[in-house]
Amino acid sequence: MEFPDTLFPSYFGTGPPREEGGPGPAAGWGEHGQVLEAGPGRRQAGTVFMPHRGGMGESWKPTDAAAIPLLPPNITYWIPSLEPQDILYRGVLCRKLRTGRSASTLDFTKQLGHFFVDHPEDAFGSMGQLLHQNFFLGNSTLKKQARNSTIRMTGLMEEISRLEARRGCPQKRLVPRLRWFSHLCRDWLFEVPLGLLADCVHEELLLQWANLLFDDSCTGGALAWLPPRDQCTGCLVYPGGQSMNRLYFQDVVLKELPRAQASPAQFELNGRIRQVAAARVDGEDFVGVRSDYHCGVWRVPGRMGAAPTPLQVIRTDVPATCLTVSPHLPGELAVCTQSGAIYLWSTEMGLQRLRHDTQTMFFRDHSSWRWSDFTAHPRVLSCADRTGLQCLDARAPERCHFDLFKVGQEAGCQQGERVVLPMYLGRAHPSQHLVTTQFSVYVLDERLPMVPVLKWAHMMQDPPVFSHLTPGGPGRSHKVLLGASRTQELLLLQYQGGSQSACQLAGPPQKLHSIAGCLQYLPTQLPHHHHLLQQRLVAPAAGLATALQEDGPQESLLVFQLSDAGDIFYQKLTHEAVEPPAPTVMDEATVAPGSSPLFETPTGSPLGLGSAEEEEEEQTFYLSNLEVIINEEEDEEEVGDAGTAAAPEEPKPPQEPSASSQPSPAVPSPAAALRYRRWLKEFCKGCREYSQHTWPPTFSQKRIFTRRELEMPAGPSTLHQQARQQLRQAMQEGGHIQCWDTPPSQPPLLQLLEPSEGLDDLSARLTKAWSEDWCQWWEERSSSNMAQRQQALRERRQRQKRARGRRSLSASFTSSLTYQSELSELSDAPQPSPPPPLSPTVLPREIASSSPPSPALDEALLSSQSLRCRGIPKERRKTLRDYLSVCAEGPPEPVEPLGSQASEACIPSSQSLSQASCTSQPRRKRPRMGF
Amino acid sequence: SRRDHKSDFTKSKEACLRYIQDAMLRQQWKRAAEFLTYYIESLEKDFSRESVGPSEMIWRMGAEILWHHSDGSVKEFNSFIEQMKTSGLKRYLKICLEHTFYLLCNGLIDEAYQVLSLAESWRFGEQTAIQDKEKKLIQAYRGLLDYYRWRKQKNILLEHGQDGFEDLAVEQEMHNCFRKAAVSLQEIIKIPGVWDLFVKCYVDLLEFYGDHNEAHQVLNEYAYNSKFPANPNAHVYLYQFLKRHGESKKSLISALKILHDIVPSHELMIEFNTMLQKSKKRKKRQLGLEVIFAALDYAGWKENLKAWSCLARQMKQIVISEKHLDWIKQEWSSRKDWWPAFHFSRYLAKRNWQENESLSYEKAVVAGILLGKDCKYFKHVSRQGCKAQVKRFRMLKKFVSKHSSVYLRISG
Repeated sequence: MEFPDTLFPSYFGTGPPREEGGPGPAAGWGEHGQVLEAGPGRRQAGTVFMPHRGGMGESWKPTDAAAIPLLPPNITYWIPSLEPQDILYRGVLCRKLRTGRSASTLDFTKQLGHFFVDHPEDAFGSMGQLLHQNFFLGNSTLKKQARNSTIRMTGLMEEISRLEARRGCPQKRLVPRLRWFSHLCRDWLFEVPLGLLADCVHEELLLQWANLLFDDSCTGGALAWLPPRDQCTGCLVYPGGQSMNRLYFQDVVLKELPRAQASPAQFELNGRIRQVAAARVDGEDFVGVRSDYHCGVWRVPGRMGAAPTPLQVIRTDVPATCLTVSPHLPGELAVCTQSGAIYLWSTEMGLQRLRHDTQTMFFRDHSSWRWSDFTAHPRVLSCADRTGLQCLDARAPERCHFDLFKVGQEAGCQQGERVVLPMYLGRAHPSQHLVTTQFSVYVLDERLPMVPVLKWAHMMQDPPVFSHLTPGGPGRSHKVLLGASRTQELLLLQYQGGSQSACQLAGPPQKLHSIAGCLQYLPTQLPHHHHLLQQRLVAPAAGLATALQEDGPQESLLVFQLSDAGDIFYQKLTHEAVEPPAPTVMDEATVAPGSSPLFETPTGSPLGLGSAEEEEEEQTFYLSNLEVIINEEEDEEEVGDAGTAAAPEEPKPPQEPSASSQPSPAVPSPAAALRYRRWLKEFCKGCREYSQHTWPPTFSQKRIFTRRELEMPAGPSTLHQQARQQLRQAMQEGGHIQCWDTPPSQPPLLQLLEPSEGLDDLSARLTKAWSEDWCQWWEERSSSNMAQRQQALRERRQRQKRARGRRSLSASFTSSLTYQSELSELSDAPQPSPPPPLSPTVLPREIASSSPPSPALDEALLSSQSLRCRGIPKERRKTLRDYLSVCAEGPPEPVEPLGSQASEACIPSSQSLSQASCTSQPRRKRPRMGF
Repeated sequence: SRRDHKSDFTKSKEACLRYIQDAMLRQQWKRAAEFLTYYIESLEKDFSRESVGPSEMIWRMGAEILWHHSDGSVKEFNSFIEQMKTSGLKRYLKICLEHTFYLLCNGLIDEAYQVLSLAESWRFGEQTAIQDKEKKLIQAYRGLLDYYRWRKQKNILLEHGQDGFEDLAVEQEMHNCFRKAAVSLQEIIKIPGVWDLFVKCYVDLLEFYGDHNEAHQVLNEYAYNSKFPANPNAHVYLYQFLKRHGESKKSLISALKILHDIVPSHELMIEFNTMLQKSKKRKKRQLGLEVIFAALDYAGWKENLKAWSCLARQMKQIVISEKHLDWIKQEWSSRKDWWPAFHFSRYLAKRNWQENESLSYEKAVVAGILLGKDCKYFKHVSRQGCKAQVKRFRMLKKFVSKHSSVYLRISG
């Protein structure tokens, strides 16, 4: 292990970092940093210098225009992760207030309200049970004696819903009554004391918000690549399933395009997989899997086709934050938990706790994140928290340790800089480590602790939480890939040196395609599909892995990226062995200055959609064959998107600035296009399957209305025309619409309907009912039918007697009503039967308790459509329906199976429709004593 | 309104910056250059109070683009940087330094010297701490270039000296360069830091003029001053200096002992081990064993033939003499739970045998002594060796079975 004989010059200071404010936006560019004399053997030929940064690197060119799906989508419908707008306050006023500042307000009351609504049992369970008799929620006024023990809550409820309507209004004030009530019951109403509950909700909200800003649980990434042992079949280890709790080992063949071979080995775990780490020791792969409370280790034997075997699982009381696999010894892992404990876990020896410290190492930081990795010495582990790294000897962890990296002057850190991901770079050089912070990347050498041998400001928007090393052979550069989670950024760095020569950054950094970037190459979708697709593709990244593919002289680098939704995409970079000084033609297709993309509107949802949809709603009833999908949620989202576009301070979804501006370097190859299509097909299938059983607002109007019904009001009726004419006239004159104000003796409505009287019973009855002489009509009809009905009753009684033997119990639920009818039957009433009960307040209740109104009747006569066609105003339709359902009397035809139990029950003396049905089905009646 | 206009301007400025960044990260230098020309407008209305103003960003991005741009030339770069120097006064020194580095990397040492001398004489307001550091670096690099000039003249003189010819002017110039270089170099190496390059040059100068004491002191200071980072090179330079000047074994050993303490995996440890093994003192020989064991703990030494043969030789000696078996026992006790898996696994036996027969032989010696003849590694290698009819493997087998009692004593 050689150490470079000369290092690049650097100052060394101690103490906390002094530089403020983070590096500038372009801090990684244009610096050589330092120079060093290159090659000691060339003194005679004049001195040659090499730069610390900005030297020449290898050229790796992407072969495709965007990332390509490797596997079919993780089919199960994916529930998008929390977004800022879910928990942030989004009032209009608030947005206005906020434009100046960047502070965001958590919508605490909304969340608490959600809790009360969603979990009323947990929130008010016992008090609710005790008090439910004393709270009255109905509309009617309370009776005097009830008032002693019951409170009428209706007014209060109305007040609350009014309050909801004024949400976001600056003038919102609590009504005294509400305030009074909340003061009164604050102390005893809640199952959990309100203060405590509020504290918990608030704490959780803060936690969620912090996670949204930066989620460290996925640090390290949940994707691992086990390199091929033969020529070309490697194995990809990744989580999948709806809650990412299934572990897959998928063989992947590296040919021209990587493709999955055979079906993957899978294991179901009982927790979301946060991290998958792998290392190869003695020809065997060891795969460590971390979920919040469990860590497991699998072994993948060296032979081809051998199945992975689970070795051991450990359970932790607090969430684990790190799991790394030793590259030195088989079956050794390092585990860290949020309690600040670091364990060396050996499948043979068990767990050994190396350190337990709730405090951070170098200065105080609230984060409980810990990390540990291996070093060049198999018994020495590095342990990290947000403030730095230490190395400790597992044989004597208390005594033997040294500081490797510290956020401070030593490494030239900035104020507020924190360690995000440390990684052992053993495969590149046994004593090198990588440390990423939100601002920079550092390469450290164990042999020269505290002083980074390489530092570079990475300029990524989101801190890099994934990293993957592809070591280069002698004379070649090592490739380090950094990945961010939320923004899906991928950055390829190259560095070289460490043994004979000092470490240098080689070549400029390179940005790789993100998953979201392939959206523009997918076929055009329906807007709501597009939205789903976009949502899926911009899901935060969850892991990253690379595979080096050597195909004769041609080298290529495959980069796999896993998304939070469980999709795996890849992209291929090919190495150009001869380094051309000039960039290739491909990326030089320049934009004309006039068409500068700077001021283009951001891509995304089509903004004009809102108005189009409104129109569509208007048209809904006239398009008989079109299946209209009304998706309210979608609407809302669309508006939300427009909102984001308007307010740039809100966190944006990962969006490459180039997505629209960049002249696309190439279109996807036919093979890639095929993969896109296949992936999309599967994805859409998954969406459809899901939508079929979960989205209620999707319905076809064909089932509700017949074609003819829909055609009926196609042209404005004469009534409409008349009304319109009147309206126009009134407007011209600037006066009132006289005939509506004071209806003439015969309103036009009824005049029009009158001619229909002779047509059928129903129309006649409706017309009568409208002109308020229905009672008379009823009298007429009942008297004319009296004889007929008495005859029918007699017949029915006989039939009932016969049918008594085959009664079924299940039919007995209507009995109380039949009882009533039988009573009247018994009376054998010679007197004219009473007019049908006219009090609507009583009758509908009876209907409700007996059976739903006959569907056929409802459909044929009571559909709002048909009522509307007949010109009956909306507010009267309900009354009408009630009446009709009560009084539905059969048409003169003797056999009519449509009669409902309710109608039979409530019109005792009327000739019952159900007589026919009685013959067809056993009489539903409860046996009564003495009958 | 004006405010809206201002925020619009900021927005488009930011968007432009994003596009430049994106183009650069995708290595589309021409596109980036085009956007940068738009971005320069941001200099005109620079109301920002941020620490990194647009002028610095333009300098950084412009420099990077010019490095990679197919049309970029040194001349263009120079003119761009000169403009940047005037527009970004706060970063003048930094820009000068970077300009120098660029010129040096392109082999333009004289031009770089000019830039450095100019920058050295620059004065502007009160210096910040960073500017102070940059100034010292500029001085140091100027000193370094003076040193290279000196070395060049020295080489000329030496060549000519062999011809029996002396050039007074060249000698004068050389001494002149020495003075300038020495003055500026000794400044920077007083400040804590990693100054390998400067220290080496300064020591070279001092040694040439025979100021050994001063050189020794400088190296001592560089190695042992606790304000400096624990730089292994500082100890290496000191050790090499001591060795060059024929210092005593004792001082050499003590220098290497410290290096061993801070970097047990340093490549000089083999030299250290041989030095200690030759020693007559028992303690030093024990230290030698410790040193080589410690070196072999590291992953980087796993396949180091030299180290394994050192260990095998020393262990053989101990086993044959049957003295100091406790040394081995002591070293082995902290390693016996992980060395077998780390060094002596079956997989490694196969691979070592295939890849490097000598290495597998040396390792088999050690494995046979430490783990007995039933050890997987030893068994595999000795069997393969006997099959291949290599004499030394047969000898090895005999040796191990003869001294099988050692294994029991070590592990017991």
